[in-house]
Parts: sequence; C-alpha cells; structure tokens
Amino acid sequence: MASREIVQYDSGLSRVFKVLAQVFLVVYLIWTVSPFIIMVGSSMKDLLEAFTLPRVGDWLGALSFFDFSPTFKHYVALFAEENFGAYLTNSLIASVGSALVAVVLGTSCAYSMSRYQFRGKKDVFFWIISTRMAPVVAVIVPLYAIFRSFGLVGTLPGLILAYTTFNLPFAIWMLKGFFDNVPYAIEEAAQCDGATRLQATMQILPLVAPGIGAFLVLCILFAWNDFLFATIIGSGGAKTLPVATKELIQPQNVQWGKIMAAGVVTTAPMMLLGLLIRRYLVAGLTMGAVKE
Amino acid sequence: MFYIPKNSVHKTVSRRKFLELGGGTAAALGIGSMTVGLGTVITRTPVSAASSEDAKWRQYEGTKLVFMSENTPPSFAIRDNIKAFYDLTGIEVEIITDGLPIVQQKVGIDLRGGNSDFALSYVQDKPIGAPFADFYSDLTPLLGDETLPQDPEGYGRDAWFENFLDVCGVYYDRDRLIALPYDSAVACTFYRQDLYEKYSKEFEAEYGYRLEYTKDSTWQNVLDFATFFKKLRDGGEDVPYGYAQHNGNFTWTTQLDIQRMQFANGRWIDFDIDDKLGSREPGPCNWGDEQSVLIMEKFKALGDVSHPDNLANGTLELNTVYQSGQIAMQVQYHEFAASVENAETSVAAGGKTAYAPCPKGAPDWIVNGGDAVNGTNCGIGGIGINGNASEDVKRAAYIFAIWATSKNTQFDVLKGVGGTPTRKSVMDIPEVQKARTRPTDMPNALTFDAVYDFGIKDPHFVLGPKIPEANEYHNIVAAESQNCLAGRTTPQEACATIKQQIDNLNGV
Amino acid sequence: MQKTLRAKRASFSAIEEDHGYAARRLDYGPGALNEEPKRRYHILLMAPAILTLAAITIYPFFWLIYMSLHKVSVARSDRWVGLDNYARLFGDVKYTDGWLLLVKYSALCLTLEILIGVVLAVILNGSRFEKVLVTVFLMPMMMSPVVAGLVWYYLYNGTFGWYHWLFQSIGILGETSILADIDTAMWGLVIVDVWQWTPLITLITLAGLKRVPQDQLEANMVDGAGSLRNFFTVSLPNIYPFLLIAILLRFMDNFRFIDHILVLTGGGPGNATRILPVYLFDVSFQFFKLGRGAAIAFTLLIVTIVLGLILVRIFDDPKKQVASGEAGETTDD
Repeated sequence: MASREIVQYDSGLSRVFKVLAQVFLVVYLIWTVSPFIIMVGSSMKDLLEAFTLPRVGDWLGALSFFDFSPTFKHYVALFAEENFGAYLTNSLIASVGSALVAVVLGTSCAYSMSRYQFRGKKDVFFWIISTRMAPVVAVIVPLYAIFRSFGLVGTLPGLILAYTTFNLPFAIWMLKGFFDNVPYAIEEAAQCDGATRLQATMQILPLVAPGIGAFLVLCILFAWNDFLFATIIGSGGAKTLPVATKELIQPQNVQWGKIMAAGVVTTAPMMLLGLLIRRYLVAGLTMGAVKE
Repeated sequence: MFYIPKNSVHKTVSRRKFLELGGGTAAALGIGSMTVGLGTVITRTPVSAASSEDAKWRQYEGTKLVFMSENTPPSFAIRDNIKAFYDLTGIEVEIITDGLPIVQQKVGIDLRGGNSDFALSYVQDKPIGAPFADFYSDLTPLLGDETLPQDPEGYGRDAWFENFLDVCGVYYDRDRLIALPYDSAVACTFYRQDLYEKYSKEFEAEYGYRLEYTKDSTWQNVLDFATFFKKLRDGGEDVPYGYAQHNGNFTWTTQLDIQRMQFANGRWIDFDIDDKLGSREPGPCNWGDEQSVLIMEKFKALGDVSHPDNLANGTLELNTVYQSGQIAMQVQYHEFAASVENAETSVAAGGKTAYAPCPKGAPDWIVNGGDAVNGTNCGIGGIGINGNASEDVKRAAYIFAIWATSKNTQFDVLKGVGGTPTRKSVMDIPEVQKARTRPTDMPNALTFDAVYDFGIKDPHFVLGPKIPEANEYHNIVAAESQNCLAGRTTPQEACATIKQQIDNLNGV
Repeated sequence: MQKTLRAKRASFSAIEEDHGYAARRLDYGPGALNEEPKRRYHILLMAPAILTLAAITIYPFFWLIYMSLHKVSVARSDRWVGLDNYARLFGDVKYTDGWLLLVKYSALCLTLEILIGVVLAVILNGSRFEKVLVTVFLMPMMMSPVVAGLVWYYLYNGTFGWYHWLFQSIGILGETSILADIDTAMWGLVIVDVWQWTPLITLITLAGLKRVPQDQLEANMVDGAGSLRNFFTVSLPNIYPFLLIAILLRFMDNFRFIDHILVLTGGGPGNATRILPVYLFDVSFQFFKLGRGAAIAFTLLIVTIVLGLILVRIFDDPKKQVASGEAGETTDD
C-alpha cells in the first residue's frame, strides 16, 4: 500500500525515521497495554503484595510486579460476598434489553426515514441525532423526576428506557445510512411481483442484517459501559457492574484487589464484543461519518 | 389483618408535591399518573396501648420498607443481621447502601420530589440533615406513642452521648426531632507510638521538649513534629512524614479539617449562631477576620511540612497512607481504628498506634481572646423517616429506627464489623469496657477514651454551621483552602474570597 | 459482509433492468393511488420510535426549561424567578471558569490525541503488524469510563501507584502525585482521555489514509517529494475532513462523559478540574440548586446543539463527501 511505495525511496534520513517509528510503536504499545496488565495483575494479588512499589528509579525492581503468587480470591469474593452475579445479570439485561429496543424500533424508523420523503424530515432527523449528543448530566435531573413518577426508578425497565435515550437515536441514525445504501429497486420489484409493502420491506432486511447485528452489539457496549444513568436511574434496585465496581470504594477500606477484579469482569466481555464487530467500530464510534 | 393498597394515602400528597417540582409541565402535556413508592408495601394489624409488647412489635408484619444508607459498617452489619429484625417484627427492610454523595443525591431527589421510595434514610448531619430537614418526619409524636414499641432507655439527650441527639436530630427548630443517632465518626489523633519513642531524644535535643503526644499537645506541637520528621526525611533518613491533612476531593471532610484547627484556637466559628440548632439565615460570616487569617496561615504552614499528597488525600486515602506507614500521625475519624488495627492491611497495627484527643489550640495563635480547646468535630449519622410517607409507613419505619439504634443492635455491630455506638449504655457492657485496652477484639473501642469521654464533650466539640446551603458552603471552603495550600492564593486572599462567596450564597 | 452486499447489489441491477419499466411506472404513476397507503405505512413504522424518543427527550427538555425559570432549591415550593437563574450565571466565576476549563481540557486532549493518533496511523498504515496492533490499540476504548477512572486512580496513587512510580522515576514528578497538585491535576485527566481515545483518532486517520488516491502519491513521488512532504501535501489534505469530524465528536464527548473525572478529582484540587459539566453535576446533585443547575444545563445543551448542527453540516457538505462511506466505497471499487 501507500507507505510501502514510499519506502522504496530510502535515504539516511528516512532510515532514522523508520527506527524512530518503531520505537514510538513499542512505547505506545506498552503505554496502551500496561494499565491492563496492572489491572489484571493486581486483581490476582493479595492486598499487601499489591501495595509494594520498588524504589524510585529502580527500573529492574519494576519486575517485582510479576513476583507474586496468583490468587483468585478476589474474583471468588466478588461473586460469593458482593453479589456480583446479580449485577452481572442486571448489566446483561439492561444492555441487551435496551439494545434490542433500540434496534427494533430503530430499524423500522430508519427504514421509513430512508424511504419516505416528508416535509421537515431534515429537522426531525437533526432532532433525533441531537438527543444522542445531549450531555447526560444535563438531562438526568428531569429524566429522574419523570421516571420516578412512573415508578421506573430502580428498575431494569427504567434503566432500559434510560439507555434508549442514547441508543435509539444512534440506531436510527446508523441504520438509515445502511438503508440508504440499499437500492430502492428491490422493493419496487417485489411490489410489482405482488408483494405487500411489508413483504417488500422484509425482503431487504437480510441485506442489512449484518449491520443491524453490529449496531446491536455497539448499543450493548454503550449501555454496558454507562455509569451516570445506572447510578441515578438504576438507583439501588438495578445496580449494574460499573456502579457496583465504583461502590467497592468504601469509607473504611478501599478494596483494590476486588476493584481490579471487578474491572476485569466489567471490561473483558466488552473487549470480546469489540473484536467481534471490529469492522463496524469506526463507523459506529463516529456516528457513521467515517467508514473503513 | 387487611391490606392497604400501595401507599394509597400519600399518593395524593405526592401528586401535589410532584406538581410543585415541575409537574405543571407534565400536566400541561397530559402525561403522568403519579407515584407509587418503590418497594414499599404496608400491612397492618391494629393494636392498642394495652396490647402486648409482642403485638406492638408485630403490628406491621408483612410490611416492606427500604432504608437508604451510607456504606458504613453499621449498615453492613445491620444488613447481615436483618433476619433478627424480621423475626422480631415480620417487617422486611431492604437496605441499600451507597457512598455519601450518592446517598445525598438519591435521598434529596426522593424527598424533594415528594416521594417516599426510601421510607428510611441516613441523615448525615450537615450534608443531608441541614438541607432537607423540612422533608423529614417529626419523630416527637411517635416517641411517646403507646401503641408503638418503645426503647426501654428512652430517647432523651442523656440516653445518647453528649451532643449526638442535637447534632443529627434537631434542625432550626428545637421542638422538632427528625432523626435518632445511628452511627458516628468522631475525630481523634492516631499516632505511631513506636516512632515517637524512637526519635524522642533527637527531637528533644532540637526542640527542648519531649516528643510525645498527650491531650495537652497543641497544634504548634503538631507543626513541630511534622517539621522535625520532614527534616529527617530531607536529610535522607528512612522515616515517614510527620503529618498529613484531609484535603482531597471529598469536600465535606476537607472543610472539617480546617474547621478543627480554627475552633481549637479561640473557639472560632463561621457564623454567630448556635451551630447545634443551625440557622436558615446565618447572616454574614466571620471568615476574613484576623483570627481566621492567622489560622489559615498556620494551616498552610502545616500543609507545607505534611505528606506531599495532601491535596489528593481524602479521609479514605489518608488512612491508606497511614496504614502503609508513610505518616507518623493523622487526625482521623475513630471508625478507622478497626482498619488501622487490621494486621493484614496495615503496618501500623499491633500496638504501634496510640489514640488521643485532637490537638489543642496554641495560646499564642489566639488573637480573638477565646480559649484554647481540643477542637473535635464529627459526623453523626442519624436514621430519619421520610415525611412524605403515609402515617402507617412512618410508624412501621419507626419500629425499625428504634431497633437499629437500640443498645443491643449497636453492641452487635461493634462486635461484628467495628461499629461506632451512639448510645451511652453500650459503654456499660462489660465486654466493651474490657475491649478499651489492648489486647482487644473491638479495635474501635481503643479510641473511646479520646472520643466519647473527651472530644465530643463541650467545650471541645465543634459542629460547624447547620445551614440549608451547607453543601455548597463545604465546597467553597474546601476549594479555597486547597487553593491556599497550593500557593495559588495567600491566606488573606483565601479568607476574603471565602467570605465573599459565602455571604453571597446566604444572600447577605 | 461487504462482499455479499456487493453481490446482492449486482443482482439488484439485474432486477432493475428486468423490471425497469415497472419500477418507473411505480415512481411516476398516478400518485393518488399510491401516496396515502404509503404515507400511512411509513408513519406506522416511524411512530413507535419517534414517540418513544419524544417521551424521553422532549418532555424532559420542557421540564428543564421550566426548572431553569424557577427557584427550586431548598424552599418547599417553586418560585418563578424569570431569567434570574441565567442572569446569575454571568456573575458566577465557577460557571465562566467552567467553560474555560472545558475548552482547555478539550484542547489539551484533542491536541495530544490528534498528534499521537495521526503519527501512529501514518506509521501503522501498510505496516506488517497493522491488523494485530490496531486490534490491541482498540482495547482502551472498550473500557467503561468509570472503570478507566478507577484503574487510573489506582495507577496515580502516591502510595502504591505504578504510574506515580514511573513519573517519579523518569523525573517528571516529585513526591506529590499528579492529582494532588493544582498544576498537574488537569494533566492527570488528560492522560486518561488520551489513553482511552487516541486509538479512535488513529482508526479514523487510517480510514482516511486508505482513501488517499494512489496516483496522487505516485505523481508526487516522481517529482521527488520526500515522504514527509508527501504527507503534508497529499495525505493531510485528504484526511483533513476526517480529522474535523473526529475533533467535533471528541469535543462533544468531553461534554457528555465526566465519569472518570468524578472518580479521579471531582473537580479539585481547588477548582482546577471543575470543567462545566462537573460544576453542573455539583450544582444539581451536591448543592441541590435544581433551578440554577437547569439553567447551566440549558446553556450546555444549546452549545451542544450548535456543535451538532455544525457536525451535521459537515456530513451534508457534498465537497466533504470523501468522509462518508459512499464516496469511500467508490474509490475502493
């Protein structure tokens, strides 16, 4: 590709650049990975082991980080003492639930927004996307009061609905882009063959299915990682993993081993999902502005 | 036995409050059936004054209540023991715990919104009690109600440690009581006896008096200790820092840190009001006067020789620093003794730590003519009942409140996870008396001499202003003293801007 | 998936040819027969989503406006105060500083993220390890911001934090840890954001670099341009629209996510990291000044909406279509 072509015009200077580039890559790699290594490592250490640091400047001493006998007691404790099984379930239900709601409602809406012209469509579309961009702190007070009045606070349905505030506009926006790419002709053809409108619509669903699947996963990811909604709307009744993790900071005892273990439990599934939808990630995280 | 539909009574109340908060818009848009309490169910068997004690305890059998509490040991211990309460009363209480700022948010939204998701909640004196006092139910009519079970020791001021009932229960109006003392966190000095002995000679050679800490040690002494240790450290010796402050991002305790020092020196307080009663209109504050500026200077001087992470060390982090052996002394809340004495997490365990009252004021630091005292402050967590709840919910909640604050429950908590009793009678239990000296199986009891027998009593006791704007006030004092410690502002400037902001806050 | 889509599309065009006439007839035929059921059908499909969204966004929005015009703090009943809440914001140093800090914070984050992200993308582009490394670099983005905050809080800790040890060892920090110093606390937050989100910039830039027309690069090369100059004259102009979008998105995310800040500094020390959304959080949930909080929230929302408008403009701008998928696909083909 591009850069390989350039390399052919090698000179002394560009060789220096090449070496620098490799160094940069290595440093960046360490910088990206080290917090994960420390998180996983600390989650498997006894408390006092985790609190030992080498002397300042003792670079070799840093290897002492790996000098410990791994224990899984923090993981066990999370589920045995801290009820993390329930929080994991809450996280799953809330994130998958909101993703399903968002994608089901979003698909039908996005389809019509893509196929049907009406006055003010642009404004409606902008309104939809602007709801996604609203700062959570700004909307959470009134949202809490409203949810409260419908008895939704502290419940999983409430949390699912709260996540819908950002997942639904996301799904509509992304999927509309998808439907726009599918030629109208296929439905017209189907209708000419005597299919009903609904049947015609159904015919193109398989074409966008991979996209729908990917955005479903992204919706799960956004919801799973949320903290503010979960802590305020989820309240005590629908506690999710990020909230439960934060709560391990207790007035008398910050249980870092458990916190790191909880961090691993919270992060690992999302990393796997991230890998799964790797090719849609850029599109998803840039609201479809950039595609790979 | 009969069922009352879920919160049928307060439904209408809620609707009115809801409209007040902004439900007008809701009504205008035609959306909104209102409010059912979250997880609250009420079942009642009528009883009379003549009924048996057992019948009184069991009159709300089948009821479900939610208690929103801070994640402190009593709440965990009570949650572990909740079956005992259920067996006694047949009432199910769900205990939800959270960090104080979150508890404050949730309780605040619940109370202000006219709801009663949380029939019971944790009334931490200034952060929760001061702003929301009006929304809690007045307990006085219930205290003498003969159709309810009552604690044999009663609820008078004498039943609790000095000042506790006023601190967490009385706000702006002497005739209303909104909470019963449930747990407490009282400041006292934790110091490394082993280190003090080790360096005693060296210190005496330089400062001319012994390196020891007593109830007569002053803040000037603390400054000397800290300076001494820092000098040793700077000289390359392997010693901890002498002192560290609470100056992290938990604004309430950060503000309490300077308050202790201010009060110790001449009993200086923020407003000319009775702190224990509080005031809705406290008037102009005293910040910026000569005394406050002088202490701010001293506070900065102490900060300069303290542990370098001062501005990141909240109460919790500070304790971690002490546990890890990086400081020789901290002024800390007595509930932390349990974790300091835990050999698994703390190098200061096993008799290395001694406990004493907070430092005293230094006579030559006092310019306002007041006394030098061992300024001691605290947080008293009360248990309060939501004023929006229906009468029956309130009564059922009351049964839990008196159980949770009873002598036996408090003793169980103290034994279990290291509680912080509020009832005087707990001290009379022989096991507790024994636990006050080493070796002990209740480490918190090691602090009781310094705390319950000394610090919380007048004239040492300082509460700080109960004002409706308490939380913003804490925030202002904390942020500006941090700015001063960081050298961004001079002590004069810091005190002046605190005064300007607080007076502005209170509409003076 | 792309492949199957393309295959299908090929078959569409076949269908299109077959039924070309019919399709045209449907399109331009007498509308009266078609329009009404079509309208009903689409409204039916859109309604559930639109209504749901309206219920959970428009309604709170009106409530927000209502609150911002009232004093809803400690007094029992709301009192109409007109624009008083807004007027007071201008005299509130923490509010105005909150904006400045937000801009400063975003500027620091974005500058670093773009510098590092673009350099990284250029190095990675076409490299042997591109696929593997990009996958590894993605990891931080998948982490919940609050967990990231907790992990970094642990790393920064002055007593047992490995990054504190690292900073001390390379001599950029003394004993005072990064969050304990008013001058460095902001950097502590920036580092976390850079760690989490630089990969996004890298990915976006990579997507852009793949679309730099090969012939332009080659033509330039023949002129004897060095690779560095090549980057500035050919690649950069091509990826510029991508970067613009990245900047806007990240800037808006800095409004949206304060989770890690709440964990790391809570706005302190002093007010050094009290960026506007954090101050809004304090006012609403710590001080319970719901009216004042609503006023702050409203101004924040307005700015977000304006930024959103700009973003949508960029999407729509035909000249910048390079950035959107369709154009990309045509160059791919």
